Amino acid sequence: MKKCLFILAVMGLVGFSSNAQQVEFEQFDLDNGMHVILHQDNTAPVVTVSVMYHVGAKDENPERTGFAHFFEHLLFEGTKNIGRGEWFTIVSSNGGTNNANTTDDRTYYYEVFPSNNVELGLWMESERLMHPIINQIGVDTQNEVVKEEKRLRVDNSPYGKFLENIKLNMFEKHPYKGTTIGKMEHLDAATLEEFQAFYEKYYVPNNAVLVVAGDINKSEVKKMVKDYFGPIPRGADIVRSFPKEDPITEPMTATAYDSNIQIPAIMAAYRTPSFKDRDAYVLAMISSYLSGGKSSKLYKKIVDEKKMALQVGALDFSQEDYGTYILYGLPLGDTKLEDLVTEIDEEIVKLQTELISERDYEKLQNVFENQFVNSNSSVTGIANSLARYYMLYGDVNLINNEIDIYRSITRAEIQEVANKYLNPNQRLLLEYLPEDKQEN
Amino acid sequence: MKSKISILIVIFLMSIGVSAQIDRSQPPKPGPAPKIALEKPSEFKLKNGLTVMVVENHKLPRVSYSLTIDNDPLANGDKAGVESLIGAMMGNGTTSISKDSFNDEVDFLGANINFSANGAYASGLSKYAERILELMSDAAINPLLTEEEFDKEKAKLIDGLKSSEKSVDAIAGRVGSALSYGKNHPYGELTTEETVNNVTFGDAVSYYESYFNPTKAYLVIIGDVEYKTIKKQIEKYFSKWEKLVNVEYTVPQAAPNVQYTQINFIDMPNAVQSDISLTNNVDLQMKDPDYHAVLIANKILGGGFNSYLNMNLREEHGYTYGARSGVGTDEFASRFSTSVQVRNMVTDSAVVNTIQEIKRIKEEPVEQDALKNAKAKYVGDFVLALESPQTIARYALNIKLNELPSDFYTTYLQKINAVTVEDVMRVSKKYFKTENARIVIVGKGSEVLTNLEKTGIPIQYFDKFANPVDKPVFSKEIPADMTAQKVVDNYIEAIGGMADLEKVKSVVNTANVTIQGAPYKPTAVIKMMSPNKMSMEMSIEGMGTVMKQKFDGTTGYQEQQGNRMPMTEDQIAENKAEMVLFPELSMDMSNLSLESIVPMEGTDAYKIKVTNGDKVSFRFYDVNSGLLVREEATTEAQGQSISTIQEYSDYTEVDGVMMPAVQKITTGPQVITMTSTEFKINEDVTDADFK
Repeated sequence: MKKCLFILAVMGLVGFSSNAQQVEFEQFDLDNGMHVILHQDNTAPVVTVSVMYHVGAKDENPERTGFAHFFEHLLFEGTKNIGRGEWFTIVSSNGGTNNANTTDDRTYYYEVFPSNNVELGLWMESERLMHPIINQIGVDTQNEVVKEEKRLRVDNSPYGKFLENIKLNMFEKHPYKGTTIGKMEHLDAATLEEFQAFYEKYYVPNNAVLVVAGDINKSEVKKMVKDYFGPIPRGADIVRSFPKEDPITEPMTATAYDSNIQIPAIMAAYRTPSFKDRDAYVLAMISSYLSGGKSSKLYKKIVDEKKMALQVGALDFSQEDYGTYILYGLPLGDTKLEDLVTEIDEEIVKLQTELISERDYEKLQNVFENQFVNSNSSVTGIANSLARYYMLYGDVNLINNEIDIYRSITRAEIQEVANKYLNPNQRLLLEYLPEDKQEN
Repeated sequence: MKSKISILIVIFLMSIGVSAQIDRSQPPKPGPAPKIALEKPSEFKLKNGLTVMVVENHKLPRVSYSLTIDNDPLANGDKAGVESLIGAMMGNGTTSISKDSFNDEVDFLGANINFSANGAYASGLSKYAERILELMSDAAINPLLTEEEFDKEKAKLIDGLKSSEKSVDAIAGRVGSALSYGKNHPYGELTTEETVNNVTFGDAVSYYESYFNPTKAYLVIIGDVEYKTIKKQIEKYFSKWEKLVNVEYTVPQAAPNVQYTQINFIDMPNAVQSDISLTNNVDLQMKDPDYHAVLIANKILGGGFNSYLNMNLREEHGYTYGARSGVGTDEFASRFSTSVQVRNMVTDSAVVNTIQEIKRIKEEPVEQDALKNAKAKYVGDFVLALESPQTIARYALNIKLNELPSDFYTTYLQKINAVTVEDVMRVSKKYFKTENARIVIVGKGSEVLTNLEKTGIPIQYFDKFANPVDKPVFSKEIPADMTAQKVVDNYIEAIGGMADLEKVKSVVNTANVTIQGAPYKPTAVIKMMSPNKMSMEMSIEGMGTVMKQKFDGTTGYQEQQGNRMPMTEDQIAENKAEMVLFPELSMDMSNLSLESIVPMEGTDAYKIKVTNGDKVSFRFYDVNSGLLVREEATTEAQGQSISTIQEYSDYTEVDGVMMPAVQKITTGPQVITMTSTEFKINEDVTDADFK
């Protein structure tokens, strides 16, 4: 077991920060390979217990998409010691809340309790990992629920299919080309044995990080963690080798239709590197520069001054292996989609040819500092960040020093990155149009 | 006066010592209940009426300012949208700072400043606390309001309205409020392109002058600030805020609940899910003695994952991603409502199950465990909420806005714990009005209406702006060579052919009858003789004949438990004209028209309109089998129109003729099903049977 690793607060060294907001934590590995992070904060009698598993939609068999997300439903069905349907009753009858979510990269489960129930949370999460019940009843029920979730969030939701269409066009080889929720026919075709095999492969302690954060006594909690998670056997090592995408060198165009909208949208999507890459941080700044706030370049020009768009924005969709940087606009009145593209491109060209102003640079620093301060404002949020930085970024310390990366980014670097990634021949232009099919 | 008043609250959580050894088979017992303390914000009031509350919290170097103007809700009528417009115009400069400089500075500070017609919110790093406050106060007191900004926001608002026109969710929300509260009530009024166009720049400015003032305003400050310093700053920046115009108005009454439970259907052909909300208005406020019991009752019914509604609709049936319910506690008008989105196919079942679960909480005592769990959840939520400094401020503000006793939150858990099984049933009956509810459904009519009609719940139709409309017609393309004549010919062929049918002179149909909601199961003997003689006798075991209905070709009567009522002139005329056996054989083709093809029961049916004088009815024939599957007629009685639907199924062959063994008759809320046990053709009938 690794020895405790304390991060000492570096107070007063940085000019702006008179109030320390250093997140202290301690981390270690169990013998079965499970990584554990503890964060103690006794200001409120609340505790979060969470487990992040390094399994997401990208790990699925291409013929069985939707498995990772399906598990997020299935693993609430019950365990050897928690009867079917009892999970939520146990949580709420002990004053807690719980939830889970899935991305292409990982699956995350958590409970929040009044702090006298920390052991209960650890028991539940260890039950989920150790011996969940995966049977046909659970699979059949959750199959319907997942289909409803898709109808709600994708099929019945205005602009609900835009990301799906962008991913489909941006990725040819890498599993990011699919959606997290997956194909319903794959779920229908899946056998119980296939679900069980997926569990055996990915739900192993050596593929997970446990975080206990909040009003805790660390030595007590350490003992509980060992008691509940220690006996779970280590699984086989997981080898990941995803196909690499070829660089985009020619402009791409695509069209998608949505019956839930009346106003079309244009989207320009660029391939960007993993969120671990320094360039991804630069792109986050560019995104804020272009569309964060009323004085941002795109908003001010296209929405405010020229009144060409109802909305413009930049979405920095960052993932573990690649990112997708999406600029979008919803035209106002008779504005043509291509005119919005022209206006957006003009601003990008400026970024590529000139340094942003000193004042804009200072503004970005303020914006990111504000974001950083707010990012660690709840224990539940801190727990999630600790797990994410450990598992996906490979560096828990980012929770305290990610801001330093932003501080170190220069104006020249912003220009350089804009030139490296944001060129017309490196992008997809997606026209997202209302579908006017009269079905009556 | 930096007073920090903390009140310790007893938490009603089980607390037992930690056990030494772990036993996986049982959930671990909780440790000792944590002690919690509820702080009170420091408070002061400016002369202009502005009440200020400060919650110091130095955990993070940030601050937030939240301004709430507690005006009574205002109906803007044909100028609905003026509030959105003035809200969007504000926060874009002040009379001394240009729009560009203002927005640039806000962004530069990494701050947010947002306005609405009745308040504002600002937040940012505490090192810029004073400047953010100054900008916010200046934008509130001396807003830069320009015609140019007004025009721009107007164009955006109208396009924004368009963008939600196909959103099932957005339509469901607005129509639900409009129907429940009434379109004249501030909470029910609809902002449309038309009303937005009615608003002038002057209207927007006048709204600001009349309603954006400090007399009923509250400013809540939370974060890394010192009370003394911030108090001075507030006095400096907000003392000059004055009330500009005095306007008195009263809030109209919300519409009353409906007389009977009904489906209010809004057709949206693009829907892949139906949005279903059962709702009724309630008179409930936080200060009412019922408040805590209603919270618990709603928690059990639909307030969480393991509530009645969610466990039924999601976990048992897999109809939905989630089902919930909620109860409002607004001073002027609020609603109880359930909410669920389900796939089209199960819309009717979801409605039936929703009603069933509400009836369950009204009629069956809740299990002690469920009650205990619901309480524990409230205790937990209360504890969890304390992590956020906003909670303290919210509680203090709630006490003021809702005129609550000052110990409302310190006695809150006590009152939650005092709720009994009887309380839950009592308040469920009082506030969850399944007899007077609207079931607002937004969905794809062509796929869901046929089944919804079978629930027997009356259906009214509305457009996306809550205006009543006729039932939508869902038509598929009728094949070019199809006519009403052909539909009738196909039907006659399908049930046995002209030659055989003409031989049928009389029919005796013996059937078991079920009446929805009635405890007894009568049997009926129905005799028919051509051309128009008819007799029905209904009897119940042990009671003998309870009802007779006869028509002998010239006159008739109805007899119920010995009371005989002769037919009226109109009824006689109607019965005379009606062919009792196979009316299709002698129909006047000029009265028939083929309307459309409509989906029905997984198949399609031809819809034929029958016009007899001023009476219109509809007959539906299965496209594939040719058989008659449904009749619809509307009759006027006591000023109300009642629609009757007759459905025919389970055709069986009797002497070469196909007869429907099951007939289901739906009249308003009443559903009668007749299942035939025997048919006799040309047997056992004499003229005397019709006397």
